[in-house]
Amino acid sequence: MKKLRLAIIGLTACSGCQLSLLNCEEELPGLLDLFEFHLFPMACSPALLEGEYDAALVEGCVSTPHERELLLELRKRSQYLIALGTCAVWGGVAALRNGEDREVLRQQVYGQSRIACETAEPQPLRSVVRVDAVINGCPPEKNELLGLLADLARGTLPAEIDYPVCTECRMRENLCLLTEGDKLCLGLLTSGGCKARCPSMAVPCEGCRGPVPEANLAEAMELYAQKGFDRITVLERLCRFYPEWKL
Amino acid sequence: MPLLPGVEAMNNIKKIDMLTRVEGHGSVELVKDGGRVVDVRLNLHESPRLFEALLVGRRFDEIPDIACRICAICSTVHKVAALQAVEQALNVSISRRIALLRELAVQGGQIESHALHIFCLALPDYLGVNGFQGLAVHAPEKLQMGLRIKKLGNLIQEAVGGRAIHPFNLLVGGMGKMPGADQLQRLSGQLSEICDDVAASIAYICSLRDLLPHLAIAPVCAASGGPSLFGDGLLTSTGLNIAASQAAVWLNEEIESNTNAKVSHFSENTSFMVGPLARLMVSMPQKYVHCFPDHSIRSSLKARIVELKMAVERAQLLIEQLLADGQGKEQPVTVVISKGEGTSIVEAPRGTLLHNYCFDSRGICTAANIITPTAINQGAMANSLKELIAAMDGADYHQIRGAAEILVRCYDPCISCAVH
Repeated sequence: MKKLRLAIIGLTACSGCQLSLLNCEEELPGLLDLFEFHLFPMACSPALLEGEYDAALVEGCVSTPHERELLLELRKRSQYLIALGTCAVWGGVAALRNGEDREVLRQQVYGQSRIACETAEPQPLRSVVRVDAVINGCPPEKNELLGLLADLARGTLPAEIDYPVCTECRMRENLCLLTEGDKLCLGLLTSGGCKARCPSMAVPCEGCRGPVPEANLAEAMELYAQKGFDRITVLERLCRFYPEWKL
Repeated sequence: MPLLPGVEAMNNIKKIDMLTRVEGHGSVELVKDGGRVVDVRLNLHESPRLFEALLVGRRFDEIPDIACRICAICSTVHKVAALQAVEQALNVSISRRIALLRELAVQGGQIESHALHIFCLALPDYLGVNGFQGLAVHAPEKLQMGLRIKKLGNLIQEAVGGRAIHPFNLLVGGMGKMPGADQLQRLSGQLSEICDDVAASIAYICSLRDLLPHLAIAPVCAASGGPSLFGDGLLTSTGLNIAASQAAVWLNEEIESNTNAKVSHFSENTSFMVGPLARLMVSMPQKYVHCFPDHSIRSSLKARIVELKMAVERAQLLIEQLLADGQGKEQPVTVVISKGEGTSIVEAPRGTLLHNYCFDSRGICTAANIITPTAINQGAMANSLKELIAAMDGADYHQIRGAAEILVRCYDPCISCAVH
């Protein structure tokens, strides 16, 4: 069988999605039977963007003119382009103060110096290119990443997850951290697929996988209000990974 | 198309297109005069996420969750450094068990990061292959050995932090769920089992031929706690002992036009190096002295494997202490919110990491300052590169280019951290 040619690239991000792949220690050697990691600068030399790719897996958000160009180029060269992780899908942590004056934020870090003045508000990939599939999570779960690669090997793409963290949390019969623990848990608005990793260790969901399709924000807000959490606190917490909640 | 902005050759400047097998986005620029390479510059192009601005306005308990997202490879140590700074600012004290578990997680991160660097990022240089794909063909048993060690580092981080990347189970004043005695015992067994692999790795790494000429090590500094990777200050090879609260002033970060990462100028105006070699130079266990006959940057891989062994031993010791202490009920910590400032220093895999935060009387962050190892190392890296081209004067451009990339990898830069 011909190996699938992959490009794995990080834009503005922490490299955690790419590291999640390198953290598949047991599976990594076996993956080499199915895939050629042609462009993967974090782990392979040299970094050459050439020819066409069966799939491009892109981590991170877009925050510079160069990243925008690179993304367009990857789109042109790839049959499938996959947004890997929450920054690529939703904007992520880097975008949490989008909507505020970026120049003011820049000056808080760099003062009057002109360093980094070419950068813009971090945006998810779909603001620049068509995205064929998404893998949520900060970081993504290893099994979803391996599932994506298995799907690609079969010539398909993973389906969108349409249930919230709450669904998996109930299946694990956890104590509800919101209704029974009075904690600000975002599981009911957040896309599932993590098997309720955090609530299962008694840590409230921080919403790292972005909004679940058809999230009922109004109803959730009522529930949060009953538990004594005001709207601003909840929205601020929600915006940690997806700034558009405030709209 | 070039993978980094402005990488096309301009006049007599040739950039090495995007550094590979390092974390983040950077390049090295070689300046040619005729056929000779006459100057070299390191560029960290990473787009800043402006973390220090993002953190301002957030509540104290959100700071560690957000700050750990600076970097994946170093996320556990960022989380712990942020927690400690927040706790210091709010006068929160943690139990001995929590302290031991946090250090265990940090040692797990050290094991994972060093194994990743040694076996996936650096070893391909020594074997003349492109990366783990080449290793899988030419040295599959070495790759497998490295991945086994790497995996154990991740298992430790998962057991304590809940996740190998961006651990969520470490909280201000405590933890979500404590790892049980059975989990700790399992880890202890796995640590014992990995010792053969680690011993074999030390012998193997020390047997590899040097790829670089001898290049001197800059003065070094490291956190004062030695193998614990923690400390309440910095120790330098020049005999200084700097309190954590004074460290940011001593490091003296400034903004320079050619890099998005702030550059440490140090009070002495000498560049100091941080990282595995620096830590060993500050406190070298006697039994490893023979591994470092020449004080040279090219020994950095040896320093990493030695530190990896020290981290495995330290993790075993921590688990022993945790098991001996037993599993008594942890008292929940109540945080009394007050105005304050906190600074913490922890040794990340790549060197000294500093987090500093100020909070107002509502517990809202009013200022954040994060100083990372790769940012600190920029001056030493630039000097080493200059020494390299001097030492290789007359060599072919491609040889210098290859050596420059290997030299940068000796510092194992983490550019997301450096710029944040």
